[in-house]
Amino acid sequence: MTTLAPAVTAPKPLTLRVRRWFLRHPAAARLGVVVILFVIWEIAARFFVDPNFLSPPSRVIVSIDDVLATQGVPQALRVTFYELAVSFVLAVVLGVILGLSIGLGRFAHRSFMPIILLLYGTPQITILPIFVLLFGIGPASKIAFGVSHGVFPVTILVAAGVQNIKPIYLVSARSMGASRWHILRHVIFPHMIPSFFTSMRLAMTGVLLGVLLAELYVSTAGIGYFTSVFTQDFDPTKLIGLVSILAAMAVVLNEVVRRAELHYGRWRS
Amino acid sequence: MSAAAIQVRDVSHQFGEEGETRHVQALQDTSLDVAKGELLCLIGPSGCGKSTLLNVMGGLIAPSTGTTTVSGKPVRGPMPHDISFIFQENALFPWNTVLENVVLGMTFQGVPRSEREDRARRALEAVGLAEFAQHYPGQLSGGMRQRAALARALSLETDILLMDEPFGALDEQTRMVLGEDLSVLLSQSRKTIVFVTHSLGEAVFLADRVAVFSARPGTIKQIIEVNEPHPRKPEFMTSPKFHRLRDQLYGLLHDEIRKAMTESSQARRRYGDKDAAPAAEGDA
Amino acid sequence: MTAGRAKGWNDRTLSRLVQLGFAVVLLLAWYLAATWGQVSHLLLPNPVEVWHQFIGILASGEFLPDLRVTLTELAVAFAISTSLGISTGYFVSRSPYAIKVFEPLFAGIFSIPIILFLPLYVLFFGLGPASKIALGATISFFPIVLNTIAGFGNVDRVLTTAARSMGASNLQMFRHVLLPAALPVVLAGLRMGFTVALLSIIGSETIASLAGLGHRIVNLAENMDMARMFAYIAFVVAIAAFLNAAVSALEARGRR
Repeated sequence: MTTLAPAVTAPKPLTLRVRRWFLRHPAAARLGVVVILFVIWEIAARFFVDPNFLSPPSRVIVSIDDVLATQGVPQALRVTFYELAVSFVLAVVLGVILGLSIGLGRFAHRSFMPIILLLYGTPQITILPIFVLLFGIGPASKIAFGVSHGVFPVTILVAAGVQNIKPIYLVSARSMGASRWHILRHVIFPHMIPSFFTSMRLAMTGVLLGVLLAELYVSTAGIGYFTSVFTQDFDPTKLIGLVSILAAMAVVLNEVVRRAELHYGRWRS
Repeated sequence: MSAAAIQVRDVSHQFGEEGETRHVQALQDTSLDVAKGELLCLIGPSGCGKSTLLNVMGGLIAPSTGTTTVSGKPVRGPMPHDISFIFQENALFPWNTVLENVVLGMTFQGVPRSEREDRARRALEAVGLAEFAQHYPGQLSGGMRQRAALARALSLETDILLMDEPFGALDEQTRMVLGEDLSVLLSQSRKTIVFVTHSLGEAVFLADRVAVFSARPGTIKQIIEVNEPHPRKPEFMTSPKFHRLRDQLYGLLHDEIRKAMTESSQARRRYGDKDAAPAAEGDA
Repeated sequence: MTAGRAKGWNDRTLSRLVQLGFAVVLLLAWYLAATWGQVSHLLLPNPVEVWHQFIGILASGEFLPDLRVTLTELAVAFAISTSLGISTGYFVSRSPYAIKVFEPLFAGIFSIPIILFLPLYVLFFGLGPASKIALGATISFFPIVLNTIAGFGNVDRVLTTAARSMGASNLQMFRHVLLPAALPVVLAGLRMGFTVALLSIIGSETIASLAGLGHRIVNLAENMDMARMFAYIAFVVAIAAFLNAAVSALEARGRR
């Protein structure tokens, strides 16, 4: 019997077990990837890049306090959060009203939906300066710009949720004697709810984009003022710290709305 | 002779206008009496108008000509206190549990709030779904969904039940079992049932009378009587009488089916591969 | 559920008329407000004036330097994100485990407005085109890589099995099975990436830049040159619409 390739030593049981564990827990591997990225960032910032341009994560984390201690930063963050909340609520409420009005009537849907879609497709960033000229550099312009981004997905999805009802449900309800109010409340409304929660997730994405864009644009007040100052002072530590806080805010808000969507979209599956 | 539960007189119905490509004469001069307490089957080739007739009987469609009377009253729209429907396509609301679905039907009909839940639970027991009251339709099999639909219809306590190929989407074994259950139900409750089906065996097994339709434009070609008491036993299906009736049905239908198939392939060639001859009923 | 839909034809024309009417009413309201209304002309310029400026801009070609800056930034950013996105996406898609690890990561990052990191890019790259290109490439990377992963990762098993049973080599498999199967989804990702790159570049030019179309609009706003600013806005919207339509058309052709 011919021998095959030279015998390879069997892999140590420990490495095999570690590999197997990672294979069963992709989330852990993901965490590992993130950790590796942070390590690269740390090394690059410490040894390779001019400290005027990049700061290692270790220094950033330690200096978060300094960022928050900077005069005006906590207020700016609080105001930003307030703008996000108000924009979101307004966008959703307006969106539902518009969406229902357009969705409930076939003719209204045919006439106005293309207009809405057209507006949704235009790059709103071009009119950001107009918003600021109109509403000033305070929260109003940020809220308005946020609403302007968030209202469209809600309108579109709510209208779609109303329009997409399978006719059999309406026929069946009618055959059992349902009045128009019955149909609205017991058929159309519950059918529309999953679309509504999906649209809330998109509204949050839009509102985050609108409000944060507006904040960054206005460099004389709010968050934009501080990003401007930290940049001009070549202070990457504080800048990264501030941006990270905002990113964390965005992640948390997104996550809250996403959970709500999963919970209330239950019957779809 | 007691007054018929449903009387159909000279009903014709067309979809679309004469001369339009979409025009189809679904029903032509159809007249029919459905006796109280009987189970009448409507059977015929695709597009023969049997579903259209059912919808006309139930007030969901206003016929182009002719009249329908139900329990002595002229039909002008849905009559939820006299008629309940069961459709082939599942019409349970997916966002409600089975129990909520049944209760909702009574809400639409106008049953007082205090009675709804009890009646719902009794109906679910009658169809054997009592333990599934809190399940969502998406969690049930096709057969169970149709049973839930039946429970909803039963809870409305109407004298008449109109069923449009209710078992059409189910596999044969489930169909047989549900058919037996339906027969038992009929023997217990004296409801009047009109039942549309494609299946010859199902028609003979369930019906007191079978109305055979011609190809489009549909009209009733002949009515066959099945003299067999309810509840029908499974053994009935293997009896010589059953086979004889089934063969008789097939003989009546065979030419009509061929006619319907030629017509539909002609229409397809004329209008392209789209849904050329608009389906007067939901069948393929 | 009932009879004839003969009025369906009229329904469509009627809704078109409503849309047209809507646009006309809007224009009319603008004109009236600007000419006779109380609105300050520092806020709402006269539409006729805007039109003149628009024509003037086009005729004089003064838009060219800014347009060139923006388009160059867009082209470079998109080239970077496309090459990185597709190659990364393809390699990740080869292993279901890699997909499970990386796809949620990419999706998670994409869910926050990455434009938030613009100040960091400006600090690192300066106010010039480099920061816009880097940010544009970063942002548009994600829809491209996610769609590439989805496209290549979801190729119907049946197709690859059939090809393998007929003896297809790896290269043949890629060229004749994987690529055509994944193409529609990948192209959709490219279209999204392009749109997102364009928006983020104009956005970053608006916020922190020395040149480019976004910057020009801000500049005019600061100088309160309203009519010109409106004209430029219309110009940019038109360019964006044109580019998006072109990209959509290419995507449709690719699907054929």
